Amino acid sequence: MSLEQVAIGSTARVADVSGCDSTSLRLLEMGLTPGVNVRVVGTAPLGGPLELELRGYRLSIRRHEAARVAIAK
Amino acid sequence: MSPTPDGTASPDGSRLPAGQAGSGIVVALLGNPNTGKSTLFSALAGIPTRIGNYPGVTVEEKLGRFTYRGQSIELIDLPGTYSLVPKSPDEQVAVDVLRGRLPDVPTPDCVVVVADATSLERNLYLATQALELGLPTVVALTLCDVADEKGITIDFAELGRRLACPVVRVVAPTRTGIDALGDAVLSVMHSPRQQPQGLDTHLAAVHPRHEQAAREAIARYAWIEELLSGVVHRQPPSTRPLGERIDAMLTHRLWGTLVFAATMLAMFSSIFWLATPLMDGISSVMDWVSGLVESLLPEGAIRSLVVNGVLAGVGGVVVFVPQIAMLFLFVALLEGCGYLSRAAFLMDRLLCGVGLGGKSFIPLLSSFACAIPGIMAARTIENPRDRLLTILVAPLMSCSARLPVYLLLCGAFVPNIPVGVSWLRLPAVVLAGMYAVGVATAALVALVLSRTIFRGPPQPFVMELPGWRWPRWPVVLERVREAVWSFLQNAGTLIVAVSIVVWALSSYPHSDAAIDADIAATRTALATRLAGLSAGDSDRTDVAEELAALDTDDGLAAARRGAAQRHSALGWMGRLVEPLVRPLGWDWRLGCAAIASFPAREVVLGTLAVIYNLGDIDPGEEEGGTALVRRLRAATWDGTNRKVFTLPVALSIMVFFALCAQCASTLVVIGRETKSWLWPVVTFTYMTVLAWLGAFATYQIGTWLGG
Repeated sequence: MSLEQVAIGSTARVADVSGCDSTSLRLLEMGLTPGVNVRVVGTAPLGGPLELELRGYRLSIRRHEAARVAIAK
Repeated sequence: MSPTPDGTASPDGSRLPAGQAGSGIVVALLGNPNTGKSTLFSALAGIPTRIGNYPGVTVEEKLGRFTYRGQSIELIDLPGTYSLVPKSPDEQVAVDVLRGRLPDVPTPDCVVVVADATSLERNLYLATQALELGLPTVVALTLCDVADEKGITIDFAELGRRLACPVVRVVAPTRTGIDALGDAVLSVMHSPRQQPQGLDTHLAAVHPRHEQAAREAIARYAWIEELLSGVVHRQPPSTRPLGERIDAMLTHRLWGTLVFAATMLAMFSSIFWLATPLMDGISSVMDWVSGLVESLLPEGAIRSLVVNGVLAGVGGVVVFVPQIAMLFLFVALLEGCGYLSRAAFLMDRLLCGVGLGGKSFIPLLSSFACAIPGIMAARTIENPRDRLLTILVAPLMSCSARLPVYLLLCGAFVPNIPVGVSWLRLPAVVLAGMYAVGVATAALVALVLSRTIFRGPPQPFVMELPGWRWPRWPVVLERVREAVWSFLQNAGTLIVAVSIVVWALSSYPHSDAAIDADIAATRTALATRLAGLSAGDSDRTDVAEELAALDTDDGLAAARRGAAQRHSALGWMGRLVEPLVRPLGWDWRLGCAAIASFPAREVVLGTLAVIYNLGDIDPGEEEGGTALVRRLRAATWDGTNRKVFTLPVALSIMVFFALCAQCASTLVVIGRETKSWLWPVVTFTYMTVLAWLGAFATYQIGTWLGG
C-alpha cells in the first residue's frame, strides 16, 4: 500500500521510498524516511497534490510521487 | 565573544586569507526556504550593498556589509536550499559559494545556518551537512516566537554541545538575539573546529540495498532524531492553534478554492485598476514634460527626436513601474504570509495538465494585466524548466495594451446583435473569444514544448507549505524596490534605445517633394471617389469631409504628417511586407501599423490615425476613437472602392494582436530574466508565426463563411 491510498485525516508509517532518482532522494531529504509517521491532512481539488504533515511541518507532494512512498501495515 | 590573549577583538589571522584580512570576514547565510533568512539578512546588514545574479546563472545574488564590534563583516545571502546535494541551479550555487568555487564571489570564512525552530528535524538536515564542510559554523534558530506558541521548548545549550557549534535563539523582526549571533560568529572564528559525531554509526545501520545518497539521507534523519532526543520537547497547546484552523479552511477543497478565487480576483483587479490612475499620472507628467520641451526647443529634427524618440521611450518604460510594483507587493505579501505555496498547491493539477506547475499560476494570471511583471514574477518558480516554459507562454495572455484594439475593432466592425439571450451581444462574445484564443494557444504551446524540446524526466513537485505568519514589511518593500529597480536599470536603457530607432524609421527619409505629391494624389483620389458616389451613399459625407479637411490648416498638417510617415522607412517597409499581409486581408497601411507596433502594441491605434491623415489624435478618448472608426470604415483599397475593413479583416487583426509578440519591453525582460538572447528570439519567432497563421486562418475562414 502506498501513501497515495491513505485516507484523508489518517496517519501512516513510511516503510520505504522506491526509485533511485533525484525525486526519491528529495522525498527522503524532506524527511519521508522509513519509520517516520505521516498524517495526510488534505488534498487539492481535481485530484491535485496531497498535503502531508510530518516531522512538525507541512509538505505537499503530487499523487504519483506519493505512490512511490510505501507505507507499513 | 572569546577574548584573544591581548584582550582585543582583532582576528588572530590564521583563519583569514591575507588578501581578505583588510576587507573583514565573509559570512554566508545558509538555510531552508521560508526560514526567515531574508528578515535576518535585513536585521543584520540592512539594505543590501549588491543585488544581481551569480555569474552564468539566473540565481539571485545578495550581498550586504556591516560592522560588529569594530569587525567589518561581509554577508552573503545564499539561495534557500534543503540539502547540499544539489538538485537545482539554486542549490548548486549555494554549494559552489560555500566551497569558494565561484569567481567574483568571496569565499565564506564562516557559515550561519538559519534554522526554523518549529521544524528542527528537517532544518538540521542542512545544518549537519553544513557542519561537515569544516567551516566555522553558527546555527541561528529563527521563528522561536512561533515555536513558543506551538508549545515547543528547545534546550539551546545541550543542542549546541551535541552539534559542537553555538546555537543562538533569534527573533529577527524584534532584533532579539542579533548581538548574541554576532558574538557567536566572532567567537567561532577563533575557536578550534570540532565536528559532531554519530552519522557513521547510523550509516552502518541502513540496509545496503539503498544507493549511497539515499542511505546517507536515511542515516542523517536517524542521527538527527538521536541528536534531538531530550533536546526538543513538544507540549501541544490545549486549543488548536489559529494557524492550523486557518490552514484547514484555506486548503479545504471547496472553501479553499473559493477564498483562492476571491484573492486572485482582488489581486488581478488591483493590478488592472489600481495601477491605471498611477499610469495615467505618469503619462500626464510625460505629456507635460514633452509640452515643456516643445515650447523650449525650435521645431525640427532635434525636437522631434527628444519628444517622439527619447521622451516617448522613457515614458514607455516608466509607465510599467506601477504594475510591477503592485504585483510584487502582492506576491511578496502572499509569499510572506505563506499563501503563495497554498496557491500553487491548489492550482497544480490544472496547470500540470499542460506541462506547467502550480507555481506558474500567479505569473500567468498577472500577465493578463502586463506580461512584464508576470515574467518577473516567474522568479518564484524554483524549477528552471517550469520557469522557462512559463516565461515563454506568458506573453500570450492578453495584456491590458491589447484591450483598446479589441474594444475599438469589436465596437466598430462586429455587428451588435444578441447571441442566444438578449443581454449577451456578439461584440462581447468576440472580446471574450480573444482572451480565450490567447489562453488556448498558451496551453497548446506549453503542452507541445513540454512534450518536445523541454521533454525530460518528470519534475518533482515536493513543496513545503510554510506555516502562517505575518509578512515582514522590510522584506516586502525590499522585494518591490528590487523588482522595480532591476526593471528600470536593465530593461529601461534598451527600451529607450528601441524607441529611438522606431522614431528614426518613421521620420526618415524625409522628402517635401514626395509629401507634396502624396497630398496632391490624395486630393485627386478623394475627388474622383466623391464624384463616383451617388447622393444617397452613406460614404459620401465621410469622403466629402476628408476632402474638405485638406483645405483647413489642421487637416493639411495632419495629412502632411501622414504623408511623411507613408514615405519614411516605415512606409517603405509596409509596402515591402504587403505580399505577406495580403493573405490576412490587410492593405499596406495596416502592414505599416503592424510593423510600427512591434516595439509596443499600444501605439497601433495612434499609428493608424496618423496613416489615415488624422494626425496626433488620442484614439483612447471618445472623440478620437469615433473619428478613427469613421475614417477606418471609409478606408478603401488604393485606387478602388473596395472597403479595407470588413468583419473578417477586423477579426484577423484582433487575432494577430492577440498572438503576436508586439512588445520590445517584454522581449528585453525575457532576455534579462533568462540571461540569454536565445529565448527572446524564440518567443518572438514562434509568436509572430502563430499570429500570422491565426490571422490567416481567421480571414480565410471568415471570408469563406461570409461569401
